[in-house]
Amino acid sequence: MSLVQSALELNGLTLTLESAAGRVNILKGIDLSIQAGERISIVGPSGSGKSSLMMVIGGLERPTGGTVTVAGQTLNSLSEDHLARFRRDHVGIVFQSFHLMGAMTALENVALPMELAGEADAFERARDGLAAVGLAHRLDHYPGQLSGGEQQRVALARAFAPRPRLILADEPTGNLDHDTGEQIIRLMFDQARRHGTTLILVTHDPGLAARCDRTIRLADGRVVEDTAVARAAPGEQKGAD
Amino acid sequence: MITLTELKLAARLARRELRGGIRGFRIFLLCLALGVGAIAAVQSVAGGIQRSLVQDGRAILGGDASVRVLYREATADQRRWLESQGTVAVTADMRAMARKATDQPGANADPGKTDLGASGLVELKAVDGRYPLYGRLTLTDGGSDVQGRLAARDGVFGAFVDDTLATRLSLKTGDRLTVGDATVEVRGIIDHEPDKAGSGSIALGPRLMVAMDALPATGLVRPGSLVNWSYQLRLPEGTDAAAWAKTVDKTFPDAGWRVRDFTNAAPQLTRFIDRLAQFLTLVGLTALLVGGVGVGNAVRSHMDASVHSIATLKCLGSPARLIFQVYLLQILALAGLGIAAGLALGAVLPLAAGRALAGLLPITAEIGVYPGRLALAALFGLVTALVFSLWPLGQAQGVPAARLFREGSAGRRGRPPAWVLAALAWLAAALGSLAVLTSVDQKLAAFFVLGAGATLLLFLGAGTGITRLARLLPRPRRPALRLALTNLHRPGNLSGMVVLSLGLGLTVLVAVALIEGNFRREVGESLPANAPSFFFVDIQPDQLDQFRQTVLAVPGAHDLETTPSLRGTIVRVEGKPAQEQVHDPDKKWVVNGDRGVTYQAQAPAGDKVVAGAWWPADYSGPPELAISKDVAQAFGIGPGAHMTLSVLGREIEAEVAVVRDLDFTTLGINFTLVMSPGVLEHAPQTHLATVRAPAEDEAAIQRAVISAFPNITAIRVKEALATVSTIIVNIGMAVRVVAAVTLVAGTLVLAGAIAAGHRRRVYDAVVLKVLGAARVTILRTFLIEYGALGLVTAAIAGALGTLTAWAVLTKVMNMKWVFLPETLALTALLSTAITLALGLVATWRALSQPAAPLLREE
Repeated sequence: MSLVQSALELNGLTLTLESAAGRVNILKGIDLSIQAGERISIVGPSGSGKSSLMMVIGGLERPTGGTVTVAGQTLNSLSEDHLARFRRDHVGIVFQSFHLMGAMTALENVALPMELAGEADAFERARDGLAAVGLAHRLDHYPGQLSGGEQQRVALARAFAPRPRLILADEPTGNLDHDTGEQIIRLMFDQARRHGTTLILVTHDPGLAARCDRTIRLADGRVVEDTAVARAAPGEQKGAD
Repeated sequence: MITLTELKLAARLARRELRGGIRGFRIFLLCLALGVGAIAAVQSVAGGIQRSLVQDGRAILGGDASVRVLYREATADQRRWLESQGTVAVTADMRAMARKATDQPGANADPGKTDLGASGLVELKAVDGRYPLYGRLTLTDGGSDVQGRLAARDGVFGAFVDDTLATRLSLKTGDRLTVGDATVEVRGIIDHEPDKAGSGSIALGPRLMVAMDALPATGLVRPGSLVNWSYQLRLPEGTDAAAWAKTVDKTFPDAGWRVRDFTNAAPQLTRFIDRLAQFLTLVGLTALLVGGVGVGNAVRSHMDASVHSIATLKCLGSPARLIFQVYLLQILALAGLGIAAGLALGAVLPLAAGRALAGLLPITAEIGVYPGRLALAALFGLVTALVFSLWPLGQAQGVPAARLFREGSAGRRGRPPAWVLAALAWLAAALGSLAVLTSVDQKLAAFFVLGAGATLLLFLGAGTGITRLARLLPRPRRPALRLALTNLHRPGNLSGMVVLSLGLGLTVLVAVALIEGNFRREVGESLPANAPSFFFVDIQPDQLDQFRQTVLAVPGAHDLETTPSLRGTIVRVEGKPAQEQVHDPDKKWVVNGDRGVTYQAQAPAGDKVVAGAWWPADYSGPPELAISKDVAQAFGIGPGAHMTLSVLGREIEAEVAVVRDLDFTTLGINFTLVMSPGVLEHAPQTHLATVRAPAEDEAAIQRAVISAFPNITAIRVKEALATVSTIIVNIGMAVRVVAAVTLVAGTLVLAGAIAAGHRRRVYDAVVLKVLGAARVTILRTFLIEYGALGLVTAAIAGALGTLTAWAVLTKVMNMKWVFLPETLALTALLSTAITLALGLVATWRALSQPAAPLLREE
């Protein structure tokens, strides 16, 4: 294990939010260490804090207590704009509702994070990214002109194209039918494996969770189970990936 | 520091975001286009007039410079000096009576054979052989040979008349007119008189132009006659006319000359146009401010719709600054579009207005594109758009990226960051400063800016107040009423928006309507009751008795009053030059040129004494003076002060005995300077007279006087008032048109706000229908809501507009104030009608929606 670099360290992480009903403790002291290249699933009932944990890891929510270190960088002290730059450089996010920019073509959507980073070859890499998810023929289509599965593939290409160290996926198949969802998962795992990207995904699907290296179960804001999944047989892995 | 790369990226993203179209920005664009268009149109017309005044300065003035003197010709010495300076053209202007001669053709007029019905007041102008030095006088038949046509043929001089006179007296070329003792032949209808705008006085009658050589034959130029002599000069090549004009004042400091150069050819017209343009620009700015509310609403809606895009951009690593830039660039691009449309409107409208103006102004406006003035309108538009956009823009950059994971987590909109608030304050100050600095009357503009700002804040506060009040009121038992009340304060209510959208526009409209109403009342309604029917001027002392008999012999003529009339200038106050003694700059007019002077033994009936006392009826001591309040205030003096008047070159020092408050609105004879008896009786003088008569006897009086005294000019008060009234009506029209733009902008904003609330209204209507409410109940609910808002807005706008009108009339214009309740009632009606109509349309559309699809969706 010492050969594998740590991708993520959470120490004593707590999150308390204000709501109309008063203060709500969402995360109640989470300690977690994730190695680079690991594929992690986070499972648990609704309201257990899965999405909140993702947001804290992605620098979208500031923890109330504890520390968050991602790719060697402690997020607690970073400003809003530093956090945005941190995401731009290190994190790709895949949403259940895709969240593509409706006024931009598929190509522009994928190029966007690299444009934000000021990379000159943003569009070439976006083209490659879309080709990798099988959408080379849909470059100039707007999200409204694409099916749900195609939109999620664009979102995948957008998340992976900048070569982030970490991919956060929140119910990536939640809005898709079974077959389309299966295609998306294969693509995601394939991309993560090819680039050695750490993958953390939130899911309600036990089958999907079982295909990850490790499953973390949350309940009432705490880690109640952290299980390493036995590596699938080569044939099965091939099928899954 | 913003880098170029960053800006380029922001521009690229802004452009992509705008691909979705600009449907949501229709009100935004219309509001900006209207406001900018109103200002651009006003500025373009003013620019056109000012350019004419500058370009045609020499023609308007009649020379490179002109020397005007009232009442007397230049002396031989003065004339020689003027001739030594350049080429001189002489003109003489005066008011006179012209009659159509019926004994055509004939040499001399015989009053017995003259159609006395066809007579009227004219502005007579005699021109010498060099007229015009600059510009061309053109006639409707295309001719322009002034000297040839005006010259005597067979002993009869020619004359040009303007179209109004030709129509009024049914004149055509070849017809004969008598003016004074002379008969002239009409040899052309004036199409364009180059120096008409330079005369400087209000024309009460149409133009009649004759040759200078014809003037003596009229017998109108007598001692004391009100003749304006004008010496127009063409100076040698290379002479600095402005510098020359200054030297004349030094060469002849006591000549009583008014010297002007072509760079300032028509100062009164320039001042009038400047002030009118300023006033209309400020009213246009109000339209822009009202439109600004719509701009703000549109930007807020756009930012609400863009929440997901903003959160996505943040998730992908975009800093808040970039997001602000992206949306600011979008707003700037859209503002550019709206401003461009407004400028196009403002450049095209004057073409249409130019034609209408041609009949109203003595000069032809050079309609064209004036980049500087259009830039000013654009700048007003841009700054206004930014002022109203910055708040929602600043709020938007605070949208948390977590919004994508947790719907509704943004909750209530927060305050924009401090630097946005600072920028907002700076821009608002810049907008106010721009309005003030580009105005000729900066004090008035500053009051306007403060007033407009306060009014906006007041209506903003009123909206909140209504919401709170509605929340506090007990719930009525009737469902329609209860629902209407709830709608006034429910989350997402339209109360504040309705009040703010219509409020400012209505306030301006009320103020303008009340000010104009008071003006019209002053000149049109309140006067006939006590005003005389006629003013007679230029009555010679030896005609006085016969004149009295002639007038009073006409049945119905009564209250004949005559007063001696002289002209004099105030040369010294307390022994020091009067020009240097003026304390109040607003009253500088008292030392500019001649003032009317009279003398009388005792106070007229009903005289209001402010300070001091009149001399006794049998007074025969040293000269004393009764002065008007204006003169006293101009120099800051009172009874006991010493003033020196120059009357026909003779200086008379007198002690001020009494200060009077003159009421010019009675249109009686009023002199600002009245001398005690025993001083002026033997000076050359004429007399003024007023007489009252029933309307049906006025023609008889005019006939009697004109036939017996060709030199006496009769000014019919009703006609003169009608002329002044026409000017006021025209100005009022211009102001109302611009004020109406404000209301249109307000209506647009309101329509936009109501449209934005459409979904909520449809939902309410559907739920109420499902629960069994009849359509008429739902309709009644919405109508009560909008009716109440319209009435409250009208009440506040009515109060504020009345206060503004009162302040402008009594404090700025020093006029009497009369409250006009019908104007206010009309405003209340208009406000309620607009809100009800818009509310009704929206409600009807909501009621027409089928329930099922919406229920399935929800």
